[in-house]
Amino acid sequence: MTADTIPDTPMFDRARQLRGYRLNKATMALRFPERRDAFRRDPAAYLDSYGLTAEEKRAALACDWRELVRLGGNVFYVLKLSAIYPAKMTEIGAHQAGIEHETFLRERLGKK
Amino acid sequence: MAILVGGLGCSHVPSIGAALDKGLMQTPDWKPFFDGIGPGRDWVAAQRPDIAVAIFNDHGNAFFLDRVPTFAVGCADRYEIADEGWGPRPLPAFDGDAAFGWHLADTLVANSFDPTVLQEVEVDHGLQVPMELFWGRPAARWPVRVVPIFVNVIQQPTPLPSRCYAFGAALRQAIDSFPGDARIVVLGTGGLSHQLQGARAGFVNPAADRAFLADIARDPEKLASMSREDYVRVFGSEGAELIMWLVMRGALDRAVRVCHSHYFVPASMTGVGMLVLENAAKAI
Repeated sequence: MTADTIPDTPMFDRARQLRGYRLNKATMALRFPERRDAFRRDPAAYLDSYGLTAEEKRAALACDWRELVRLGGNVFYVLKLSAIYPAKMTEIGAHQAGIEHETFLRERLGKK
Repeated sequence: MAILVGGLGCSHVPSIGAALDKGLMQTPDWKPFFDGIGPGRDWVAAQRPDIAVAIFNDHGNAFFLDRVPTFAVGCADRYEIADEGWGPRPLPAFDGDAAFGWHLADTLVANSFDPTVLQEVEVDHGLQVPMELFWGRPAARWPVRVVPIFVNVIQQPTPLPSRCYAFGAALRQAIDSFPGDARIVVLGTGGLSHQLQGARAGFVNPAADRAFLADIARDPEKLASMSREDYVRVFGSEGAELIMWLVMRGALDRAVRVCHSHYFVPASMTGVGMLVLENAAKAI
């Protein structure tokens, strides 16, 4: 699969892998406690040290999940930002779907 | 020779691990799920496997995009618990079985599968959650040795479903030819339907999930003949990881009996399943 053939479903293909490489590397590194400490001390400097562009930095600092995925972020890497800025997986999902959280839980996941 | 005692299937949703860590099993959100896992745990307790061959995927904790093995086999005697960003979960490290890991690598290559051979590698919720659901949380040491098989289900190209099924047949050959009398169980993990990325995030497909749990027992060829795109369409972009259950199923005989099947939706954003299969030819 090289192109998205299923609507609203970004496949993590060659183009996204290349586009998101630095972003995914910066966020995956948050699995190390000392990297988390470095991020907390100076988030912008942390992201600069991985060579992120201004728009990638903006998206990471704002936890703009939809934008992070658009920039080639894969959820399993960028998700680690939520170790710094707490967010539930369902909130991350609702943000990408462009739906308010409670509505997302009810309409997509069948929660009462 | 070693004995194959059965095949297990289980979701590996991280929020199940969080529910276990926080003791939320009896809350309204979680009770219907945890109430259904008892028979799976009882089966494992009665069968007392010595080795669990666990098929799962890493979630950005062991492998970065600089190297992405399509299939990788753990050949170590120990696997540490990964820190996924929130500190390592309070679980003991897993004991491995290097002898079986190497024998599996040998057997796979002899069958034209060429896995990456792993030594020091940490294991994340993809392995931890199914192990805890079936074995419970041990105070000090897991009562079973683990041989992890990592499958790339994140970066395209992911392996074909049919290839995963054939991989399972080679795994079976390794079990049947392993000297000694170890009791071995095969554990396929992941799924069921879920999508975590894109505007279709939150997609679940309970009807397809229930059909999958039935078909994996009675008609695995149907599931093995689906395309990767079919899996994404039917089960969601992350639910497509269900191809890992086909490795487990491929290790079993064509005829199996279902000892336990449990389904619940949603756990966080995922349909979750637990399945216990035995070869029909196995004495009860």
